[in-house]
Amino acid sequence: MNSSGFMFNVDNGYLEGLCRGFKCGILKQADYLNLVQCETLEDLKLHLQGTDYGSFLANEPSPLSVSVIDDKLREKLVIEFQHMRNHAVEPLSNFLDFITYGYMIDNIILLITGTLHQRPISELIPKCHPLGSFEQMEAIHVASTPAELYNAVLVDTPLAPFFVDCISEQDLDEMNIEIIRNTLYKAYLEAFHNFCKNMGGATADVMCEILAVSGCSSSCIGISLNFPLSRLQFEADRRAIIITINSFGTELSKDDRAKLYPNCGKMYPDGLAALARADDYEQVKTVAEYYAEYAALFDGSGNNPGDKTLEDKFFEHEVKLNVYAFLQQFHFGVFYAYLKLKEQECRNIVWIAECVAQKHRAKIDNYIPIF
Amino acid sequence: MGSLFRSEEMALCQLFLQSEAAYACVSELGELGLVQFRDLNPDVNAFQRKFVNEVRRCDEMERKLRYLEKEIKKDGIPMLDTGESPEAPQPREMIDLEATFEKLENELREVNQNAEALKRNFLELTELKHILRKTQVFFDESVPTVYKSSGTHSSNKYRRYLQMADNQNEDEQAQLLGEEAVRASQPGQNLKLGFVAGVILRERLPAFERMLWRACRGNVFLRQAMIETPLEDPTNGDQVHKSVFIIFFQGDQLKTRVKKICEGFRATLYPCPEAPADRREMAMGVMTRIEDLNTVLGQTQDHRHRVLVAAAKNLKNWFVKVRKIKAIYHTLNLFNLDVTQKCLIAECWVPLLDIETIQLALRRGTERSGSSVPPILNRMQTFENPPTYNRTNKFTKAFQALIDAYGVASYREMNPAPYTIITFPFLFAVMFGDLGHGAIMALFGLWMIRKEKGLAAQKTDNEIWNIFFGGRYIIFLMGAFSMYTGLIYNDIFSKSLNIFGSHWHMSYNKSTVADNKYLQLNPNGDYEGAPYPFGMDPIWQVAGANKIIFHNAYKMKISIIFGVIHMIFGVVMSWHNHTYFRNRISMLYEFIPQLIFLLLLFFYMVLLMFIKWIKFAATNAKPYSEACAPSILITFIDMVLFNTPKEPVKDCQTYMFFGQHFIQVLFVLVAVGCIPVMLLAKPLLIMQARKQANIQPIAGATSDAETGAITNGGVGGGQHEEEEELSEIFIHQSIHTIEYVLGSVSHTASYLRLWALSLAHAQLAEVLWTMVLSIGLKQEGWFGGIILTCVFAFWAILTVGILVLMEGLSAFLHTLRLHWVEFQSKFYKGQGYAFQPFSFDAIIENGAAAAEAE
Repeated sequence: MNSSGFMFNVDNGYLEGLCRGFKCGILKQADYLNLVQCETLEDLKLHLQGTDYGSFLANEPSPLSVSVIDDKLREKLVIEFQHMRNHAVEPLSNFLDFITYGYMIDNIILLITGTLHQRPISELIPKCHPLGSFEQMEAIHVASTPAELYNAVLVDTPLAPFFVDCISEQDLDEMNIEIIRNTLYKAYLEAFHNFCKNMGGATADVMCEILAVSGCSSSCIGISLNFPLSRLQFEADRRAIIITINSFGTELSKDDRAKLYPNCGKMYPDGLAALARADDYEQVKTVAEYYAEYAALFDGSGNNPGDKTLEDKFFEHEVKLNVYAFLQQFHFGVFYAYLKLKEQECRNIVWIAECVAQKHRAKIDNYIPIF
Repeated sequence: MGSLFRSEEMALCQLFLQSEAAYACVSELGELGLVQFRDLNPDVNAFQRKFVNEVRRCDEMERKLRYLEKEIKKDGIPMLDTGESPEAPQPREMIDLEATFEKLENELREVNQNAEALKRNFLELTELKHILRKTQVFFDESVPTVYKSSGTHSSNKYRRYLQMADNQNEDEQAQLLGEEAVRASQPGQNLKLGFVAGVILRERLPAFERMLWRACRGNVFLRQAMIETPLEDPTNGDQVHKSVFIIFFQGDQLKTRVKKICEGFRATLYPCPEAPADRREMAMGVMTRIEDLNTVLGQTQDHRHRVLVAAAKNLKNWFVKVRKIKAIYHTLNLFNLDVTQKCLIAECWVPLLDIETIQLALRRGTERSGSSVPPILNRMQTFENPPTYNRTNKFTKAFQALIDAYGVASYREMNPAPYTIITFPFLFAVMFGDLGHGAIMALFGLWMIRKEKGLAAQKTDNEIWNIFFGGRYIIFLMGAFSMYTGLIYNDIFSKSLNIFGSHWHMSYNKSTVADNKYLQLNPNGDYEGAPYPFGMDPIWQVAGANKIIFHNAYKMKISIIFGVIHMIFGVVMSWHNHTYFRNRISMLYEFIPQLIFLLLLFFYMVLLMFIKWIKFAATNAKPYSEACAPSILITFIDMVLFNTPKEPVKDCQTYMFFGQHFIQVLFVLVAVGCIPVMLLAKPLLIMQARKQANIQPIAGATSDAETGAITNGGVGGGQHEEEEELSEIFIHQSIHTIEYVLGSVSHTASYLRLWALSLAHAQLAEVLWTMVLSIGLKQEGWFGGIILTCVFAFWAILTVGILVLMEGLSAFLHTLRLHWVEFQSKFYKGQGYAFQPFSFDAIIENGAAAAEAE
């Protein structure tokens, strides 16, 4: 129970150290400043050679393209993650697996949407995220209804329990796919949330709450679980807000919408109920105002040129939360945080690379710095 | 002064190179490897430097070469490595090289593409061949097995098989089945069983089967068979195991579904004719096509092989060339561009002695580039600390490395390496003294030295071997010295040699010897009077009771004697440093009190040992007989603590010589008096000097630059020292003093490790002899021979493994410590930084090592 501090390193110390080591290789502000000055992709490559990325592009023939850079960045991340996964033991291995389920959901949705648009499966497979690939993935286009999808493909995958809620949907069209995606995500986030909560045993749950109330969060199991929880809560709330905003102008009914909200965020239950009633952006904003951290995000965002979009604001907030994860020790949050930070970094590099490649320098500064 | 004793004198030079000649000049300097360039534009990004495009082109060339290397390695073609290093090619030759590589790469890629296509074709045909062969078996065997197992209730199924097995009568069968089929399935549906055959990766088969069953709700029938021989994957050449499968199903809907699943699992489907005759015919066709393909594949492989063999001859050479070009452009990137763009300005550290050679190299470079303007090498004044450069050869290199591992010497500081060459093996040998073990070690070292060239040529990654090989001269010297000390200790595998005949004789008769376990030899009668000519008398080998006591007394004393001399030598070295750096204050108030302290206390103790050895003997009369010999340790303790010595035994004297008490009191007082001198004199004098200096400027108003010039004028290019806080000086000085005074005591005691390890080594060797080998020696008869052989093998392994390797390592580490801590702390600062010249040899070696590691 309260021994998590000194028993943690027995199983997970090496990997945590490794992860923190990897984290030190994340590009700093100074690196970004240099990257932004690049004239060509070759310059970008030359500069990245001086960072932890090393010679990851050394064996690529010369006219570089952004997609090659993207692939290589992702490949490197995946190799690192998989290395950690292969060395992990229970319960960390479960935790890491849970992280990959999110990518599986994305892959499934991508494939279904693709087949819906009559794209050949061989064209879709390379677009899938390698972390979320599973054996039956490529045969997904056999299914034409959600029930079939469940019975034939997903029943063997770890996603099966999340999918149970979706079987009732009649057939696979755009709208339903979107609903399936969000239902899956909701189930997944809630399961992940529960998993994190239960990791320290049944009492951990209670402990968490007590510690949070009394404010001394710096002891025992509270530490190791606080982080992933708060991250997931953020994730859940973000989804709820984004779903709400995106649903305006579609035929999604308010009841259906409310079903898609993950029930594990900070906004649960009052905020979600309010969100369910919202009709336009302003109302969402009002709801968010009750929550200090989200209110700030809405404040600075807008759709005017020069303003940051709400999505970017969320990303920024996410980065901040992820960086905070490294301030505490003996918890699994660092792995999640590292993966997310690295993904953000890949997005940043690709963004800069795109801007460089298209000679579109005006928006090149729109990356989200990490450190 | 000789370069061995101090690092080279360095000069900071400015180099003006004409733009056209710069490349050739830097190339010449790279071959020479005597110049360390400084980065003159540290603020500029890597990709904004002048020659970044050339560097990039080199990167591209290297990539192509790596690709070639990979392909060559894949085919297992030996690469010619002559070890020679071709000159860096001219910039214009770079284009030729690029073109050559481009051509080679394209050719190779094309060949590979063709080969891959052919291989894919081949793979498909082989798979088809296997399908035809295996499905034949399915069709053949399915009838009887199904018939037997399925019983009567599945007669329908049986007929389906029948139908499949003999498709020639298909129509008939269909008719026969007609009525039943209508009953069994929905009316109007055609009961034609279809099947697909294909090949799938073996590890994906279980999931595939499960998926099929789920997706088709168990309405398909799958048979599979393994393909025994692994097939080659055409994309990466890996060997993969695959399985043939055949799926039977009914209806078009299931067909599309099955096909989709097959596609999803990357199973390759092949057309398989239903009629046996067609299959046979097809199999024949496939066989002939495979044979044709085989010849074509062979030709492609031959072509590829020829291309690669041609490339393999030059590959290493090309690598060297490209790396050199890249290094040159990297160096040029460090240079500053002149305002007129006509010349490049470089700053570099060069050894003073080599300026001539560098000038010559620069001239050669200019001539080669055909430029008319000679390069200018200009010495610059600097306050910066120059790098430390010790010229080494293959012999001194390892010793210098031992010193540098502690810390690179400050610029022009006394270099302990030359003395280490002798003291290191010697102190090691004191601990490792055994003629036999030393001989093994020396022979190993000698073998490495004799085979030096051959061993050096076969570069290995084996770190342990590289360490041994790098230290081959140290190992040889350590072994040789150990043989010498082994002779002195008279130890060979823990036994003694009786070369000159013992100088002790026994006066007991046979029966006395046989009856008594222990007998004492009387030095007054049994001893010849003159010692054994060299080393220990072998008589001690048989002295079971007091051998260790005797050895301990001897070894402890020599340990202290060597230790004190070693430390005094270290202190004397600091005198050389002080005189060289004109540090009068340190010389007077640090070196002299330190030396006096050491001499009066510890060297005096060493002298006492000699006096005791000389004056006291068993043959002497009473005041100087062996019984009266005082303990040196007790004497020394009494001396330092001013204790009154204990009353001597009857007829003995308290002191060894006249006036000893007075001398001892005097020595201790003077030595203690040295401590405040060491502690206070230097900081006080500095304080005084500062006070005076503070008054002076009012009178003379000297500028900072002038004072800087005056202080630095004394020491050639010396460092520009920041004024230290006075309190810091006091603290430093007190730390140094405490360290020295306490260190003298603890370091002297620390040298006792020489004795301790020597004792341990001798005892281990003896234990090994008595517990292992002597058992084998005691056996009798022919059986004893066999036992002895086994026991000897065991003993030999333990001797080499434990006594030579492990004990050797331990003694080595202790020796290293004695040098780093006890010796070098007396004079060595080790705060410099190493000279890293721009040298092609180093760059190419590193490049090769990095490539190996990948």
